Amino acid sequence: MTDPLLTVHNIETYIGQFHILEGVSFEVPEGEIVALLGRNGAGKTTTLKSILGLTAPRTGDVVFDGMNLRGMQPFDIAATGIGYVPENRAIFGALSVEENLRLAERSKGELERKSDLIFGLFPDLERLIGLPGTALSGGQQQMLAVARALVPDNRLLLIDEPSEGLAPVLIEQMMEAIKQLSSDTTVLLVEQNFIVASRLAARYVIIEEGASVASGDMADLVNDEETIRKYLGAA
Amino acid sequence: MTTTTVAAPTRGTSTSRWLRKNRGKLALAAFFAFVLFSGLFMMETNDWIITIIRGLAVGAITFLVASGLSLIFGLMDVLSLAHGELYMLGAYVGWTIYVRPDTFLDALTPIALVLSGMALLPLWRRIASMWTAGKWARIIAPILVGVAGLVIVVVLFPKFPMSMWNLDVYTEAPINNSVALDQGLQEVPPPADFDGVSPLVGIIGIWLGGALLGLGIAGGIERKAEVPASKPGVGAYTIAGGVALLALLIYVVNDPLTDWWYGLGTSPRFFFALVITVVLAFGLGSFIEVVFIRPLYDRLLYQLMMTLGLGFIIIELVRSVWGRPGFTMPKPAVFNGHGDACPGEGLGGMFSGCSTIKIFDSRVRMYNEVFIILVGILVLVTITLVIKRTRLGMIIRAGVQDSEMVEALGINVRRVFTITFGIGVALAALGGVIAAPAIGLNTGMGATVLLLALIAMAIGGLTSFPGAAVGAVIVGLLQQFMIKYGSIGIPVPWMDEPFKPSPVLVPASAILVMIVVLLVLPHGFFGREE
Amino acid sequence: MTEASPKRPNFLTRHGMLIFVVTLAILFPFIVGLIEGQSPATVIASEGGNSKFLMGLAVEVFILALFALSYDVLLGITGLLSFGHQMFFAVGAYGSGIMLKSLGWSLPLTLLGILVLAILQALLFGVVLPRVHGITFALVTLGIASMFWIVIQSPDVGDWTGGDVGLQGASSLVPAWINTNDHRFRFYLMALAVLVLFYLVFRRIVSSPTGAVMVANRENQDRALMLGYNTLWFKMFALVITSIAAAIAGMLWTMHQPIVTPTVAGLGWVVAALLMVLMGGIGTLTGAIIGAAMFRLLSFYLERWFGGGASLMLGVTYVLLVLFLPYGIVGTWRLKQARVSEGRKRLVALVTGKGG
Repeated sequence: MTDPLLTVHNIETYIGQFHILEGVSFEVPEGEIVALLGRNGAGKTTTLKSILGLTAPRTGDVVFDGMNLRGMQPFDIAATGIGYVPENRAIFGALSVEENLRLAERSKGELERKSDLIFGLFPDLERLIGLPGTALSGGQQQMLAVARALVPDNRLLLIDEPSEGLAPVLIEQMMEAIKQLSSDTTVLLVEQNFIVASRLAARYVIIEEGASVASGDMADLVNDEETIRKYLGAA
Repeated sequence: MTTTTVAAPTRGTSTSRWLRKNRGKLALAAFFAFVLFSGLFMMETNDWIITIIRGLAVGAITFLVASGLSLIFGLMDVLSLAHGELYMLGAYVGWTIYVRPDTFLDALTPIALVLSGMALLPLWRRIASMWTAGKWARIIAPILVGVAGLVIVVVLFPKFPMSMWNLDVYTEAPINNSVALDQGLQEVPPPADFDGVSPLVGIIGIWLGGALLGLGIAGGIERKAEVPASKPGVGAYTIAGGVALLALLIYVVNDPLTDWWYGLGTSPRFFFALVITVVLAFGLGSFIEVVFIRPLYDRLLYQLMMTLGLGFIIIELVRSVWGRPGFTMPKPAVFNGHGDACPGEGLGGMFSGCSTIKIFDSRVRMYNEVFIILVGILVLVTITLVIKRTRLGMIIRAGVQDSEMVEALGINVRRVFTITFGIGVALAALGGVIAAPAIGLNTGMGATVLLLALIAMAIGGLTSFPGAAVGAVIVGLLQQFMIKYGSIGIPVPWMDEPFKPSPVLVPASAILVMIVVLLVLPHGFFGREE
Repeated sequence: MTEASPKRPNFLTRHGMLIFVVTLAILFPFIVGLIEGQSPATVIASEGGNSKFLMGLAVEVFILALFALSYDVLLGITGLLSFGHQMFFAVGAYGSGIMLKSLGWSLPLTLLGILVLAILQALLFGVVLPRVHGITFALVTLGIASMFWIVIQSPDVGDWTGGDVGLQGASSLVPAWINTNDHRFRFYLMALAVLVLFYLVFRRIVSSPTGAVMVANRENQDRALMLGYNTLWFKMFALVITSIAAAIAGMLWTMHQPIVTPTVAGLGWVVAALLMVLMGGIGTLTGAIIGAAMFRLLSFYLERWFGGGASLMLGVTYVLLVLFLPYGIVGTWRLKQARVSEGRKRLVALVTGKGG
């Protein structure tokens, strides 16, 4: 078996004086979709931010593609090939859709090279290209946030709650897009909606009170009602 | 929590909805328009025009300081209270390069040598990170090394050849240097020599002093760093070597360069002063951001104290180098012409080389009004283009909203912070150099302009760049109108005598306007509501 | 804080440190007198010498400490960043000066007048409270205070305020039995007593349910609103009590100083308070007092040693302090003790910027 693309080994993260992550470990194999599951406030978002160094872990290691990310600045970590789609989408309101995408370029002309892929997944964005970020609806913002992570050659996408606040039709569309892009990109997904997560991801990791408590194949979890009830509440 | 406007009702057309949503802004805009145009009936037309032009000139200077403040506050949430003093420092440094380029050249060699020694910081960090010792040794050793470096620099610096003004001798005071230049009586000062040390010892010694200072700082950084410093790249060596080479080059060609520089007219000398000051200010601003501001992000009170402390230090520095009494700065010759054809007529007269031109029967000074306003407009247009059209501007606009996300896209936001702080300081220094020939130099000029700039910023919306421009214009106009009314009086129907605002009310009026605007629109005219 | 223990130990053990410090402060002039060879009687009679001079300096420390204490309650406990606090002080100083000198009021009547003025000016600040917050509140309060600063310097009211020179001679109108020149020791004791009184009152408020709301107010306005407290009223309350404390400090200043200059109404004065609070440790109350003592003594000795360069040294001190002692003296000490986790969370929350 080859080495996993991302290994998170026993990280502990503090925000101010608050001990948020108290030991999270898991692996993300190349080319798969892994879902981080757990209740609200369990530490899923902080896990993503810790991988990126936005909230740097105090102890433990994050190894991406054989490189230990400890002590690296967030922009350096991102430049190793990790894309981030945050929970609040963080679309820049003062920038147009095109500028939002351009900002993610790591070399000139990247947007042009990727435009077939991006506008193939999200045809709406091509139509909206000149509008300011503030003019987009929630669903359009979510598409733009994912598209933005696709502009550079990222090998891993960290996607936080892609279905949150979206209408059912849009959720289907978003799931379709994530499935398509996962054919050549690895995805680490945080998803509150278990149905969405179980249909997308092949593997899962459960985080409970800042620690990883269970992981395995999604197919096993779907039938394991006890685990679901214990960690995720009623499914 | 409190918002200025009630949620827009669903009824009504989009126009009426917009009107209702922006009624506070409209009311205030109407008020300022009223103040501006009511002047037409209370004063003579040419008085009114000249007051507006002067107001715009004050606004332009205020804008140069306020724009930097608002860029910095918008992007980094740092309110730099040192900005007024940096404006003042810009004026004094600009004066030196303009009036005494020889002093500037003399000082450049030792300063560049110290900086060259410090610029090897990545190498010093690498060395410091390899050193293992006990906890206390790692605290004390860097301090001792740094202090030793500082002592060497302080001892050697005055020994370098330095011809400059003399605060204790009246005929050699800064003011007389200015007068001499203005009247064309300035002579090239005789070259100075090293004082008591051989040039070789002085040059190598002060470089080592800078290096030790850098090593001390590096030790302090490494003690707290979680990851040891990596091998320094070629860039650090190139910069340090280049700066050292520049220092030596200037030392070698000091005398001929001084002679050449003194042979230039005042106009090119002024231009040089402007450009060099702005470049130096950019460097200083970047340095301040890296060393003093960076450890304090997200800690508003401490930033305020820090920038205030830096301001105190700058004032004392200026007082000890340039003296307490204020002095003037001569205007460059292009703006000083007079003769039979003067004053020039109309806008075409701008190219007549006269010191004043006539517009609508009003005499407008080329430098104080026309040039300053033009520089203000030029800066406004340039910065707007940079913000709207360049990648740097795109990052700044994005960073104002969410700098963490910009970082997550793989962009080095800290470097953008440093650049932005440098630009802000450069703009303030530009304001200082531009203002000095018009209003002179004194150690209180920083505090005055800071107050106006803060008010301008607050009126326009703290984080908004166009807001800073609008606020600065409002503040400038208001000031000049109050001064004008102070001399001609405002006719009040129920009073026999026209009401004359006393001079103390000039700053008070600007403050009052700020209070009213903030109470009506807590986010100013262009600020974002959160 | 330590008062939170449920057993409520007796007054002596609870306030042991305070009693020790106060006793030391009372003995301080006699100790100085002993070194100088003065008898205790001469010290009590305040006939001059080093002990009288040092008592004068100590009175300034007490007054500044009271001012800093009130600012700490407003900023460190309530979380209101005001840059208009110098007006609270200056109204007390100038108000009492005008009442004593121009209006010829007696001391008790002046005190009453100052209390009324203090409440009125707090209400004035309260008017803007619901409209603006954060840095905008700081700017508006700075604006109001700056207007006051400009007005008292204007020649139109020069007969009352002394214009830009300052208000002179009000301290000599204080009755002889408590006058700072005739009976410095009594004045010293009184200033000390006022400071201790306000310290105890503030301490009591901070550890009471009201104080808990004031802290909640700073931490999270929404949460405090949800709990059903009207945070506006608590901010108002904080404004009024700190205004009274600052105005009393201003009144003591007028009674102590031969001349009250417009400096006390300027931005520099509130910056001084901020510096004292930051030096000592924000939100700790005791820190404000320690900070005031350090600030006054530091500027006194810097001026003595460096003369004109004193403000350069003060600037350097600010910068070093901010870089190397980020939580203040008391704050850093408590962090090191690592036992007051609650206080530490609040400190960290404030220092990391969640307080504004």
